[in-house]
Amino acid sequence: MAKKTYDLLFKLLLIGDSGVGKTCVLFRFSDDAFNTTFISTIGIDFKIKTVELQGKKIKLQIWDTAGQERFHTITTSYYRGAMGIMLVYDITNAKSFENISKWLRNIDEHANEDVERMLLGNKCDMEDKRVVPKAKGEQIAREHGIRFFETSAKANINIEKAFLTLAEDILRKTPVKEPNSENVDISSGSGVTGWKSKCCS
Amino acid sequence: VEPKRKKRNICQELCGSVMEFGEESSPALAFEKEAFELTVEDVYDISYVIGRDLLKISNTGEEVSDLQFRIVRVLEMFETLVNKYNLSLEELKMERDNLKSELDRIIKESSSGQQTAGPNQLVIDLTDPNRPRFTMQELKEVLQERNQLKAQLMVAQEELQLYKSGILPQAEPAMVEVDLKTPAAKEHKPETINDTKEEKTTIGKLFSFRRK
Repeated sequence: MAKKTYDLLFKLLLIGDSGVGKTCVLFRFSDDAFNTTFISTIGIDFKIKTVELQGKKIKLQIWDTAGQERFHTITTSYYRGAMGIMLVYDITNAKSFENISKWLRNIDEHANEDVERMLLGNKCDMEDKRVVPKAKGEQIAREHGIRFFETSAKANINIEKAFLTLAEDILRKTPVKEPNSENVDISSGSGVTGWKSKCCS
Repeated sequence: VEPKRKKRNICQELCGSVMEFGEESSPALAFEKEAFELTVEDVYDISYVIGRDLLKISNTGEEVSDLQFRIVRVLEMFETLVNKYNLSLEELKMERDNLKSELDRIIKESSSGQQTAGPNQLVIDLTDPNRPRFTMQELKEVLQERNQLKAQLMVAQEELQLYKSGILPQAEPAMVEVDLKTPAAKEHKPETINDTKEEKTTIGKLFSFRRK
Protein backbone atom coordinates (compact mmCIF):
# COMPACT_ATOMS: atom_id res chain seq x y z
CA MET A 1 0.00 0.00 0.00
CA ALA A 2 2.61 2.49 1.00
CA LYS A 3 5.15 3.40 -1.64
CA LYS A 4 8.11 1.13 -1.27
CA THR A 5 11.18 2.80 0.09
CA TYR A 6 13.65 0.17 -1.08
CA ASP A 7 14.47 -2.00 -4.07
CA LEU A 8 15.76 -5.12 -2.35
CA LEU A 9 15.47 -6.71 1.05
CA PHE A 10 18.45 -8.68 2.35
CA LYS A 11 18.29 -10.69 5.51
CA LEU A 12 21.50 -11.01 7.47
CA LEU A 13 22.26 -12.94 10.63
CA LEU A 14 24.89 -12.45 13.30
CA ILE A 15 26.14 -15.52 15.18
CA GLY A 16 29.00 -16.32 17.54
CA ASP A 17 29.75 -16.97 21.20
CA SER A 18 28.13 -14.94 23.94
CA GLY A 19 29.96 -11.70 24.65
CA VAL A 20 31.96 -11.38 21.42
CA GLY A 21 30.11 -8.17 20.55
CA LYS A 22 27.48 -9.14 17.99
CA THR A 23 24.93 -6.69 19.35
CA CYS A 24 27.55 -3.92 19.56
CA VAL A 25 28.68 -4.55 15.97
CA LEU A 26 25.08 -4.24 14.85
CA PHE A 27 24.39 -1.21 17.04
CA ARG A 28 27.45 0.54 15.60
CA PHE A 29 26.25 -0.15 12.07
CA SER A 30 22.58 0.72 12.58
CA ASP A 31 22.82 3.62 15.03
CA ASP A 32 26.51 4.55 14.82
CA ALA A 33 26.77 4.27 18.59
CA PHE A 34 28.49 2.14 21.17
CA ASN A 35 27.45 1.05 24.64
CA THR A 36 29.96 -0.43 27.09
CA THR A 37 27.45 -2.10 29.38
CA PHE A 38 26.99 -5.75 28.53
CA ILE A 39 23.38 -6.80 28.19
CA SER A 40 22.98 -10.37 27.05
CA THR A 41 20.61 -10.65 24.08
CA ILE A 42 17.47 -12.60 24.89
CA GLY A 43 16.83 -15.08 22.12
CA ILE A 44 16.68 -13.03 18.96
CA ASP A 45 16.36 -9.38 17.97
CA PHE A 46 16.73 -7.42 14.75
CA LYS A 47 17.53 -4.03 13.33
CA ILE A 48 16.86 -2.46 9.99
CA LYS A 49 19.23 -0.34 7.96
CA THR A 50 18.79 0.81 4.41
CA VAL A 51 21.91 1.23 2.32
CA GLU A 52 22.50 2.19 -1.29
CA LEU A 53 24.60 -0.04 -3.50
CA GLN A 54 25.00 0.24 -7.27
CA GLY A 55 22.13 2.67 -7.41
CA LYS A 56 19.82 0.32 -5.58
CA LYS A 57 18.23 0.96 -2.23
CA ILE A 58 18.79 -2.14 -0.21
CA LYS A 59 17.00 -2.71 3.02
CA LEU A 60 19.07 -4.82 5.38
CA GLN A 61 17.14 -6.67 8.01
CA ILE A 62 19.83 -7.84 10.39
CA TRP A 63 19.02 -10.51 12.93
CA ASP A 64 21.02 -10.44 16.12
CA THR A 65 21.13 -13.79 17.93
CA ALA A 66 21.85 -14.69 21.52
CA GLY A 67 25.17 -16.51 21.75
CA GLN A 68 24.20 -18.42 24.88
CA GLU A 69 23.67 -22.12 24.42
CA ARG A 70 20.28 -22.05 26.13
CA PHE A 71 18.77 -20.03 23.27
CA HIS A 72 20.00 -22.32 20.51
CA THR A 73 16.67 -23.87 19.66
CA ILE A 74 15.30 -20.37 19.09
CA THR A 75 18.26 -18.92 17.21
CA THR A 76 18.87 -21.85 14.87
CA SER A 77 15.33 -21.55 13.53
CA TYR A 78 16.34 -18.17 12.07
CA TYR A 79 19.28 -19.52 10.03
CA ARG A 80 17.07 -20.75 7.21
CA GLY A 81 15.81 -17.31 6.18
CA ALA A 82 19.23 -15.67 6.17
CA MET A 83 20.95 -14.68 2.92
CA GLY A 84 24.14 -13.64 4.67
CA ILE A 85 25.63 -14.76 7.96
CA MET A 86 28.33 -13.00 9.95
CA LEU A 87 30.33 -15.26 12.26
CA VAL A 88 31.80 -13.15 15.02
CA TYR A 89 34.57 -14.02 17.45
CA ASP A 90 36.49 -11.95 19.98
CA ILE A 91 40.24 -11.58 19.33
CA THR A 92 40.81 -11.44 23.12
CA ASN A 93 38.94 -14.70 23.71
CA ALA A 94 40.57 -17.88 22.37
CA LYS A 95 37.53 -20.02 23.12
CA SER A 96 35.30 -17.85 20.95
CA PHE A 97 37.72 -18.40 18.08
CA GLU A 98 37.91 -22.16 18.63
CA ASN A 99 34.12 -22.26 18.54
CA ILE A 100 34.03 -20.73 15.05
CA SER A 101 34.23 -24.24 13.60
CA LYS A 102 31.21 -25.16 15.71
CA TRP A 103 29.29 -22.13 14.38
CA LEU A 104 30.32 -23.07 10.82
CA ARG A 105 28.89 -26.54 11.40
CA ASN A 106 25.68 -24.94 12.67
CA ILE A 107 25.43 -23.02 9.39
CA ASP A 108 25.94 -26.22 7.39
CA GLU A 109 23.21 -27.84 9.39
CA HIS A 110 20.59 -25.10 9.54
CA ALA A 111 21.16 -22.47 6.87
CA ASN A 112 20.58 -22.37 3.13
CA GLU A 113 23.33 -23.96 1.12
CA ASP A 114 24.10 -20.81 -0.85
CA VAL A 115 24.15 -18.48 2.15
CA GLU A 116 26.92 -15.87 2.01
CA ARG A 117 29.25 -16.18 5.01
CA MET A 118 31.74 -13.76 6.55
CA LEU A 119 34.13 -14.04 9.49
CA LEU A 120 34.65 -11.11 11.87
CA GLY A 121 37.33 -10.89 14.58
CA ASN A 122 35.87 -8.21 16.80
CA LYS A 123 37.42 -6.02 19.55
CA CYS A 124 40.53 -5.35 17.44
CA ASP A 125 40.99 -2.08 19.34
CA MET A 126 42.17 -4.15 22.34
CA GLU A 127 45.58 -5.01 20.92
CA ASP A 128 47.14 -5.46 24.38
CA LYS A 129 44.68 -8.22 25.22
CA ARG A 130 44.80 -9.99 21.88
CA VAL A 131 45.18 -13.78 22.02
CA VAL A 132 44.07 -14.68 18.49
CA PRO A 133 46.60 -13.55 15.86
CA LYS A 134 45.11 -11.96 12.78
CA ALA A 135 46.81 -14.64 10.66
CA LYS A 136 44.79 -17.36 12.37
CA GLY A 137 41.55 -15.64 11.48
CA GLU A 138 42.73 -15.19 7.90
CA GLN A 139 43.73 -18.84 7.73
CA ILE A 140 40.40 -20.28 8.86
CA ALA A 141 38.58 -17.87 6.54
CA ARG A 142 40.74 -19.00 3.63
CA GLU A 143 40.11 -22.66 4.46
CA HIS A 144 36.38 -22.09 4.23
CA GLY A 145 36.55 -19.71 1.30
CA ILE A 146 34.94 -16.80 3.12
CA ARG A 147 35.80 -13.14 3.68
CA PHE A 148 37.44 -11.96 6.87
CA PHE A 149 37.66 -8.63 8.66
CA GLU A 150 39.00 -7.60 12.00
CA THR A 151 36.54 -5.12 13.44
CA SER A 152 35.97 -2.91 16.42
CA ALA A 153 32.48 -1.75 17.27
CA LYS A 154 33.98 0.49 19.94
CA ALA A 155 36.53 2.22 17.73
CA ASN A 156 34.32 1.93 14.65
CA ILE A 157 36.80 -0.06 12.59
CA ASN A 158 35.65 -1.97 9.51
CA ILE A 159 32.04 -2.22 10.72
CA GLU A 160 30.36 -0.48 7.81
CA LYS A 161 32.84 -2.00 5.41
CA ALA A 162 31.97 -5.52 6.59
CA PHE A 163 28.21 -5.04 6.24
CA LEU A 164 28.48 -3.33 2.86
CA THR A 165 30.83 -5.99 1.54
CA LEU A 166 28.48 -8.75 2.65
CA ALA A 167 25.54 -6.92 1.07
CA GLU A 168 27.53 -6.48 -2.16
CA ASP A 169 28.38 -10.16 -2.26
CA ILE A 170 24.71 -11.02 -1.92
CA LEU A 171 23.75 -8.41 -4.50
CA ARG A 172 26.20 -9.95 -6.95
CA LYS A 173 24.34 -13.26 -6.72
CA THR A 174 20.94 -11.62 -6.95
CA PRO A 175 19.10 -11.82 -10.28
CA VAL A 176 18.57 -8.39 -11.76
CA LYS A 177 14.79 -8.73 -12.00
CA GLU A 178 12.83 -6.37 -9.80
CA PRO A 179 11.81 -7.85 -6.47
CA ASN A 180 8.27 -8.64 -5.40
CA SER A 181 6.50 -6.04 -3.37
CA GLU A 182 7.18 -7.33 0.05
CA ASN A 183 7.41 -5.87 3.44
CA VAL A 184 9.81 -6.84 6.14
CA ASP A 185 9.19 -10.47 6.86
CA ILE A 186 9.60 -11.21 10.52
CA SER A 187 8.49 -14.81 10.61
CA SER A 188 11.13 -17.22 11.76
CA GLY A 189 12.77 -19.86 9.66
CA SER A 190 10.87 -20.28 6.47
CA GLY A 191 10.50 -16.63 5.57
CA VAL A 192 10.71 -16.56 1.79
CA THR A 193 12.15 -13.45 0.24
CA GLY A 194 11.91 -12.27 -3.31
CA TRP A 195 15.53 -13.18 -3.80
CA LYS A 196 15.19 -16.65 -2.49
CA SER A 197 11.95 -17.59 -4.21
CA LYS A 198 13.52 -16.70 -7.52
CA CYS A 199 16.61 -18.68 -6.73
CA CYS A 200 14.79 -21.80 -5.77
CA SER A 201 12.09 -21.92 -8.42
CA VAL B 1 28.53 -63.94 78.52
CA GLU B 2 31.75 -64.77 80.30
CA PRO B 3 34.63 -64.85 77.85
CA LYS B 4 37.07 -66.73 80.10
CA ARG B 5 34.94 -69.83 80.28
CA LYS B 6 35.48 -72.64 77.80
CA LYS B 7 32.86 -73.08 75.10
CA ARG B 8 29.95 -74.87 76.68
CA ASN B 9 27.49 -77.32 75.15
CA ILE B 10 24.17 -78.85 76.12
CA CYS B 11 25.36 -82.45 76.58
CA GLN B 12 28.19 -81.59 78.94
CA GLU B 13 26.01 -79.30 81.02
CA LEU B 14 23.21 -81.83 81.29
CA CYS B 15 25.49 -84.68 82.19
CA GLY B 16 27.12 -82.52 84.88
CA SER B 17 30.63 -83.40 83.86
CA VAL B 18 32.30 -79.98 83.60
CA MET B 19 30.69 -77.20 85.51
CA GLU B 20 31.38 -76.06 88.94
CA PHE B 21 29.75 -72.74 89.85
CA GLY B 22 30.98 -70.37 92.47
CA GLU B 23 28.74 -69.52 95.37
CA GLU B 24 27.77 -66.15 93.93
CA SER B 25 26.63 -67.26 90.44
CA SER B 26 23.59 -69.44 90.64
CA PRO B 27 22.63 -71.14 87.35
CA ALA B 28 19.07 -71.55 88.62
CA LEU B 29 18.56 -67.79 88.17
CA ALA B 30 18.26 -68.41 84.41
CA PHE B 31 14.80 -69.84 85.06
CA GLU B 32 13.61 -66.51 86.39
CA LYS B 33 14.53 -64.50 83.29
CA GLU B 34 12.11 -63.22 80.65
CA ALA B 35 12.09 -65.46 77.59
CA PHE B 36 13.36 -62.70 75.27
CA GLU B 37 16.19 -61.80 77.62
CA LEU B 38 17.70 -65.27 77.57
CA THR B 39 21.19 -65.72 76.21
CA VAL B 40 22.70 -68.94 75.07
CA GLU B 41 24.68 -69.05 78.35
CA ASP B 42 21.38 -69.09 80.20
CA VAL B 43 20.35 -72.08 78.13
CA TYR B 44 23.52 -73.88 79.28
CA ASP B 45 22.74 -72.93 82.89
CA ILE B 46 19.25 -74.37 82.46
CA SER B 47 20.77 -77.51 81.00
CA TYR B 48 23.08 -77.76 83.96
CA VAL B 49 20.23 -77.42 86.48
CA ILE B 50 18.06 -79.96 84.67
CA GLY B 51 21.04 -82.33 84.49
CA ARG B 52 21.57 -81.95 88.24
CA ASP B 53 17.89 -82.76 88.90
CA LEU B 54 18.04 -85.77 86.57
CA LEU B 55 21.05 -86.98 88.50
CA LYS B 56 19.05 -86.77 91.73
CA ILE B 57 16.29 -88.86 90.14
CA SER B 58 18.68 -91.48 88.78
CA ASN B 59 20.32 -91.70 92.19
CA THR B 60 16.99 -92.86 93.57
CA GLY B 61 17.21 -95.80 91.11
CA GLU B 62 14.85 -94.59 88.38
CA GLU B 63 15.70 -95.20 84.68
CA VAL B 64 16.04 -91.68 83.10
CA SER B 65 18.27 -92.14 80.03
CA ASP B 66 15.41 -91.91 77.46
CA LEU B 67 14.09 -88.81 79.14
CA GLN B 68 17.62 -87.46 79.26
CA PHE B 69 18.03 -87.76 75.47
CA ARG B 70 14.71 -86.02 74.82
CA ILE B 71 15.55 -83.23 77.13
CA VAL B 72 18.91 -82.81 75.37
CA ARG B 73 17.07 -82.60 72.06
CA VAL B 74 14.60 -80.01 73.34
CA LEU B 75 17.33 -77.95 74.92
CA GLU B 76 19.40 -78.04 71.71
CA MET B 77 16.42 -76.67 69.82
CA PHE B 78 16.07 -74.06 72.49
CA GLU B 79 19.75 -73.21 72.13
CA THR B 80 19.38 -72.73 68.39
CA LEU B 81 16.30 -70.54 68.77
CA VAL B 82 17.88 -68.29 71.40
CA ASN B 83 21.03 -67.99 69.35
CA LYS B 84 19.12 -67.17 66.22
CA TYR B 85 16.92 -64.67 68.00
CA ASN B 86 19.86 -62.80 69.49
CA LEU B 87 21.71 -62.72 66.20
CA SER B 88 18.69 -61.38 64.31
CA LEU B 89 18.15 -58.78 66.98
CA GLU B 90 21.75 -57.68 66.67
CA GLU B 91 21.49 -57.46 62.89
CA LEU B 92 18.30 -55.42 63.02
CA LYS B 93 19.83 -53.02 65.53
CA MET B 94 22.81 -52.46 63.27
CA GLU B 95 20.55 -51.97 60.27
CA ARG B 96 18.45 -49.49 62.21
CA ASP B 97 21.51 -47.51 63.30
CA ASN B 98 22.82 -47.37 59.73
CA LEU B 99 19.51 -46.07 58.40
CA LYS B 100 19.32 -43.54 61.18
CA SER B 101 22.72 -42.07 60.42
CA GLU B 102 21.92 -42.07 56.70
CA LEU B 103 18.70 -40.18 57.38
CA ASP B 104 20.54 -37.68 59.56
CA ARG B 105 23.06 -37.11 56.79
CA ILE B 106 20.35 -36.46 54.19
CA ILE B 107 18.42 -34.10 56.44
CA LYS B 108 21.60 -32.21 57.21
CA GLU B 109 22.49 -31.92 53.51
CA SER B 110 19.09 -30.69 52.40
CA SER B 111 18.85 -28.13 55.20
CA SER B 112 22.27 -26.74 54.30
CA GLY B 113 21.02 -26.15 50.75
CA GLN B 114 23.18 -28.73 49.03
CA GLN B 115 20.33 -30.54 47.38
CA THR B 116 21.26 -33.30 45.06
CA ALA B 117 19.66 -33.59 41.64
CA GLY B 118 20.09 -36.03 38.80
CA PRO B 119 22.83 -35.42 36.22
CA ASN B 120 20.46 -33.61 33.85
CA GLN B 121 18.20 -32.04 36.41
CA LEU B 122 18.01 -28.60 37.94
CA VAL B 123 16.87 -27.82 41.47
CA ILE B 124 14.50 -24.85 41.49
CA ASP B 125 13.91 -22.78 44.56
CA LEU B 126 10.18 -22.04 44.46
CA THR B 127 10.61 -19.04 46.73
CA ASP B 128 13.06 -17.32 44.36
CA PRO B 129 11.13 -14.56 42.53
CA ASN B 130 13.68 -14.82 39.71
CA ARG B 131 13.29 -18.56 39.18
CA PRO B 132 12.78 -19.91 35.66
CA ARG B 133 9.07 -20.24 34.99
CA PHE B 134 8.44 -20.13 31.26
CA THR B 135 9.09 -22.62 28.53
CA MET B 136 11.26 -22.14 25.46
CA GLN B 137 8.12 -22.24 23.32
CA GLU B 138 6.56 -19.40 25.32
CA LEU B 139 9.71 -17.31 24.99
CA LYS B 140 9.79 -18.03 21.27
CA GLU B 141 6.23 -16.80 20.86
CA VAL B 142 6.83 -13.64 22.87
CA LEU B 143 9.97 -12.85 20.87
CA GLN B 144 8.16 -13.45 17.60
CA GLU B 145 5.38 -11.11 18.61
CA ARG B 146 7.87 -8.48 19.81
CA ASN B 147 9.77 -8.62 16.52
CA GLN B 148 6.52 -8.52 14.54
CA LEU B 149 5.37 -5.41 16.37
CA LYS B 150 8.79 -3.86 15.94
CA ALA B 151 8.62 -4.43 12.19
CA GLN B 152 5.12 -2.97 12.03
CA LEU B 153 6.23 0.05 14.00
CA MET B 154 9.07 0.60 11.57
CA VAL B 155 6.73 0.42 8.61
CA ALA B 156 4.39 2.88 10.32
CA GLN B 157 7.27 5.21 11.14
CA GLU B 158 8.42 5.11 7.54
CA GLU B 159 4.95 5.90 6.27
CA LEU B 160 4.64 8.70 8.77
CA GLN B 161 7.90 10.10 7.54
CA LEU B 162 6.59 10.02 3.98
CA TYR B 163 3.42 11.84 4.97
CA LYS B 164 5.39 14.38 6.93
CA SER B 165 7.77 15.09 4.12
CA GLY B 166 4.86 15.45 1.74
CA ILE B 167 5.89 12.65 -0.61
CA LEU B 168 2.52 10.98 -0.25
CA PRO B 169 -0.33 13.02 -1.78
CA GLN B 170 -2.93 12.07 0.86
CA ALA B 171 -1.41 14.41 3.39
CA GLU B 172 -4.17 16.73 4.54
CA PRO B 173 -4.35 19.76 6.81
CA ALA B 174 -5.71 17.58 9.62
CA MET B 175 -2.48 15.65 9.57
CA VAL B 176 -0.58 18.86 9.94
CA GLU B 177 -2.77 19.84 12.83
CA VAL B 178 -2.03 16.61 14.68
CA ASP B 179 1.66 17.03 14.19
CA LEU B 180 1.56 20.56 15.42
CA LYS B 181 0.45 19.44 18.82
CA THR B 182 3.49 17.23 19.24
CA PRO B 183 6.60 18.81 20.68
CA ALA B 184 8.81 17.92 17.72
CA ALA B 185 6.62 19.52 15.10
CA LYS B 186 8.20 22.84 14.51
CA GLU B 187 8.68 22.73 10.76
CA HIS B 188 5.07 23.67 10.03
CA LYS B 189 3.76 27.07 9.30
CA PRO B 190 2.14 28.91 12.21
CA GLU B 191 -1.13 29.80 10.42
CA THR B 192 -2.29 26.16 10.40
CA ILE B 193 -2.37 26.02 14.18
CA ASN B 194 -5.83 27.52 14.30
CA ASP B 195 -7.23 24.88 12.01
CA THR B 196 -8.37 22.61 14.83
CA LYS B 197 -11.66 21.29 13.45
CA GLU B 198 -10.40 18.68 11.02
CA GLU B 199 -8.96 15.73 12.79
CA LYS B 200 -11.03 12.83 11.53
CA THR B 201 -8.69 11.49 8.88
CA THR B 202 -7.27 7.99 9.21
CA ILE B 203 -3.87 9.21 10.11
CA GLY B 204 -5.37 11.64 12.55
CA LYS B 205 -7.12 8.79 14.30
CA LEU B 206 -4.11 6.51 14.15
CA PHE B 207 -1.89 9.01 15.81
CA SER B 208 -4.36 10.80 17.98
CA PHE B 209 -2.67 9.31 21.02
CA ARG B 210 0.23 11.64 20.37
CA ARG B 211 -1.87 14.73 20.98
CA LYS B 212 -2.12 16.53 24.31
